[in-house]
Amino acid sequence: MEPPTAEPLVYIDHFRMDFGKTTVIRDLSFDIRRGETFGFLGSNGSGKTTTIRALLGIYQPTAGILHIDGRPFQPEDGNRLGYLPEERGLYKKEAVIDTMTYFGRLKGLGKHAATAWSLDYLERVGLADKAKTRLDKLSGGQQQKVQLGVTIMNQPELLILDEATKGFDPVNRRLLMDIIEDQKKAGATVMMVTHQMQEAERLCDRVILLKDGAAEAYGTIPEVQDQFGGTMIRMTYSGTIPKSPHYDITSQETSYAELTLTDKTDEAVILRDLVDAGVLVRSFTTSKISLEDIFIQVYGDENSPAEDN
Amino acid sequence: MGRHNLNTVISFEVVRTLTKRRFWIATLIVPVIIGIVIGLVSLSSASTSASVDSQKNAKFTFSYVDASGIVNPAVVKAVGGTPATDPAGAVAAVKAGKLDAFFDYPKNPAKQATKVYGVDKGIFNDGKYGSVATQILVASAQGRIGDAALTTIVQGNLNIDSTTYKDGAVSGGINGVIPPLLFLAIFYVVILLLANQMLTSTLEEKENRVTEMILTTLNPTTLVIGKVIALFIVGVVQMVVFALPVILGYLFFRSSLNLPNFDISHLTLSPGPMIVGFLLLVGGFTLFTGTLVAVGAIMPTAKEAGQIFGIMMALIFVPFYVVALVVSDPSAPIVQLFTYFPYSAPVTAMLRNGFGSLSVPESIGVIVELFVLGAVVLRIAVRLFRYGSISYTSKVSLRTVFQRQK
Repeated sequence: MEPPTAEPLVYIDHFRMDFGKTTVIRDLSFDIRRGETFGFLGSNGSGKTTTIRALLGIYQPTAGILHIDGRPFQPEDGNRLGYLPEERGLYKKEAVIDTMTYFGRLKGLGKHAATAWSLDYLERVGLADKAKTRLDKLSGGQQQKVQLGVTIMNQPELLILDEATKGFDPVNRRLLMDIIEDQKKAGATVMMVTHQMQEAERLCDRVILLKDGAAEAYGTIPEVQDQFGGTMIRMTYSGTIPKSPHYDITSQETSYAELTLTDKTDEAVILRDLVDAGVLVRSFTTSKISLEDIFIQVYGDENSPAEDN
Repeated sequence: MGRHNLNTVISFEVVRTLTKRRFWIATLIVPVIIGIVIGLVSLSSASTSASVDSQKNAKFTFSYVDASGIVNPAVVKAVGGTPATDPAGAVAAVKAGKLDAFFDYPKNPAKQATKVYGVDKGIFNDGKYGSVATQILVASAQGRIGDAALTTIVQGNLNIDSTTYKDGAVSGGINGVIPPLLFLAIFYVVILLLANQMLTSTLEEKENRVTEMILTTLNPTTLVIGKVIALFIVGVVQMVVFALPVILGYLFFRSSLNLPNFDISHLTLSPGPMIVGFLLLVGGFTLFTGTLVAVGAIMPTAKEAGQIFGIMMALIFVPFYVVALVVSDPSAPIVQLFTYFPYSAPVTAMLRNGFGSLSVPESIGVIVELFVLGAVVLRIAVRLFRYGSISYTSKVSLRTVFQRQK
């Protein structure tokens, strides 16, 4: 990987993480540019949370460089960070407003500013009447909203969201996306871990796919699509589809098939070859391969990308 | 930022503890019970006093025989007794309830028992028979000596005014022992009140899965120190609440509670033992707190951490098993061991400091040991919290934690 030239906000180079004799991250390098939304994708156990924890100094890396804004993260920089961990939790016996004010103060806000911000946020997410309620009296979704509020307090420069939408219904998922969008508009850089490939495709400027502790694919969405053939052909037909070095048959039923191109061969050439081979082609459409398809290709059918729902 | 966060943690922890109903129920239940006991004691004191007065004036019929020849018949007559001629008949009369009591004085009352027979009038009233029998003998003996001063001396009722010297200066005696031992009392109260809270203080972050949020917002050292200071403040509040009814009871109900009059003006505050006592208190508190926080960071739940709690508590009571040796023979090997073993050192050293047997070099040695170990253990506790509290459901492997060198 080339050294960063545009001063990335997050810079990870040759990161390795061992737990005893188990290697969780083999050799991982990527960066996150300022202002972009970066998708950190991978199956369960692929090392996403470990990477985030090492980036935030919770784990000490076995080897490699993990920098935020040019240096290893220190808790003193916490007021510039918004981190929503995979393991959700707040002080459950405390009132919502007390907990939010506490974290607001730890993030550098004054007491009154933290309380005022918290009340505004609770109003926005429909929890204004729960301000003085103990957290353990709220539903799981409501607790998640409070935790998201704590995460985005004091306009963080870097938002790290580990499966932010987990447990949200579609309405609240929309609300959460709006809030994240607002943070982006305010200049935040977003690193999001998600199993929702459509979400990643819609929101992310660039993504990395992690498998067995190493990057399987990395770049913008089109770049990643190109790494996996880029183009997919969906067709209805009669006859027998011949084998070809230009495509893989990724799905096939009685009269329907999906072909993934393995090189840059033009789609028209493929169509002509099929017709020449005696295949009666009834319909023939091309599209870019989706992230979900790429995910399935990389991780196999046992890892459904939306399994966290 | 660090100081701001430390203040934030302290105020959050103190306020949320002091605003909990559960805290006040647990804290007030002790003074309320003390108040009830004081009230009951006060009431029963008044009733006991009335009962004593009525007993004092109550007369009973008795007869006696005297083989010693010491008993003065005039004394007996004055308290309503009569000589008996037939001891067996007198005992039979007591048995039949016709006579309240019969005293049989032996030939040598100093060596032989005086036999007292009486009609059972209840466990408290029956005591008067023996008292009267004794008083008759004492009054008769005093009469034979014929000198009130000699009688007092024989009885040993003497006033002694002692003056002792240490290094050429008047030492405080017991009045000099009490003030440094107050640090020991504070140490016990603080540890007993707060140890469980110390143990579970960082467990809360783990059990609530809030550790990652905290570790990325706040330096763990700030969090741990903030929690320790907050716990100490809470402990002070608890001590004040506990002490208040005792102080009020002493100030306003002393006579009805039959409390002795403590004249604290006689207490001697020697700077040396007081400074040593204070430093031992702070050092011991730091060491125990650091250890309890470290244990809390390793254990996944409060229940499992509680098993360690009992061991820690036992360690601060162990020196009392050899308290006689600590006071009388400080050079005994077991006392020396307890003086320097970290977890028995605070109590043993504070005891010896109070009784004046902790030399200056020993004081310095124990204080340095406690502060150095306290700082090391607190540092380990922070490290265990930092790396251990992410293990939400399992006990942390120390080897794993310490392998992760910075």
